[in-house]
Amino acid sequence: MKSKSLRNPGNYGNFFLRVMPVNSYYGTLLRSINILVVLIVFSGLYASAQDDARLVSEKSHIRFFSSTPAEDIEAHNYSATSTINTGNGNVAFSVPMQGFEFDKRLMQRHFNQERFLDTQQFPTARLVGTITNLDAIDFSSNGKYDAIIEGELTIKGVTNKISEKGTVTVNGNRVTAESVFDVTLADYGVEFTSGRPASNIAGTIEVTVHAEYQPQ
Amino acid sequence: MKRKKIIRVLIVLVVAGALIGVGAGLYMFFMPQRNVQNLPVDFQVTASDLTEEFLNDITRANQKYLSADGESKILEVTGKVSRISENFNGEKVVLLKDDDDKAGVSATFTHDTNQAVNELEPGDVVTIKGVIRSGAYYDQDLDMFVNVTVEKSDIINL
Repeated sequence: MKSKSLRNPGNYGNFFLRVMPVNSYYGTLLRSINILVVLIVFSGLYASAQDDARLVSEKSHIRFFSSTPAEDIEAHNYSATSTINTGNGNVAFSVPMQGFEFDKRLMQRHFNQERFLDTQQFPTARLVGTITNLDAIDFSSNGKYDAIIEGELTIKGVTNKISEKGTVTVNGNRVTAESVFDVTLADYGVEFTSGRPASNIAGTIEVTVHAEYQPQ
Repeated sequence: MKRKKIIRVLIVLVVAGALIGVGAGLYMFFMPQRNVQNLPVDFQVTASDLTEEFLNDITRANQKYLSADGESKILEVTGKVSRISENFNGEKVVLLKDDDDKAGVSATFTHDTNQAVNELEPGDVVTIKGVIRSGAYYDQDLDMFVNVTVEKSDIINL
């Protein structure tokens, strides 16, 4: 009996059926339970496969905010694309730079120009990283989780390492990510030493990211 | 007497010049954003051809469609409506993409033109006018094709 169940360890149904009379009501019941167990195990596998799924965001808001005694300047972008791989924690953002909109047309033109962000040459900014505390985030359970992202940010063709904090909010199928972090313009080859840009544009810009993801 | 007259004329000229200078400066500073819908169209394209152009040679397509000051080309794009959504600014977003294409054209409307999207349904073939912001490409890190983005859109022909 023992050796047999060892040789066929997964077959609990047979084990129970051996104990129970084959044609009894309980025998049939156990056979049903057996099938049920298999179904539950498979649905569990299916659910964890779902957890590994990729989340895609084509609905986002990125805000640049620069503050100096001379003036506050902000720009908004609603056209970024992002993905999160909930299996390995990989995160990526692609941001079309010409999608940043300013109140003033002149500022927007300056922003795009070669000496500022050169958006014709470098039309997209990119963030590629990994959520390092993936264990702390349960994508299958509603809630708000703190996330740490480490990776690389590329603006104007210059790449720098970053490590930023954010939050991930799970609400059913909908996952939103939020983060506020600082970007030092000089790190990306954007520097002004004199004139209005030097006095009116902050050396360090506050970047606010808000993205809504759907499974895909 | 004559000298006084010359001085008076000079003062008037200097003041007028200063006023024009300040006026031009203020105009530049407060210059309103372009009204894309009132501007002439630079290119008429299909969504398929436009995405294909970017996927074939993105550097060349960027040079052709994107301007250095960010005031890029005005396009009339014709394609099949594949998806209708809304962005975080409350603007409608219409994705023009043929079923066989790898990428499409994502057209963002404005608060003024949102209304026009109410008439659209997925499957409709439509022509949309707007300004291009970025091209299509395959992104290795996203592991997906990124769409062309067009903004300040309105429907030209349904």
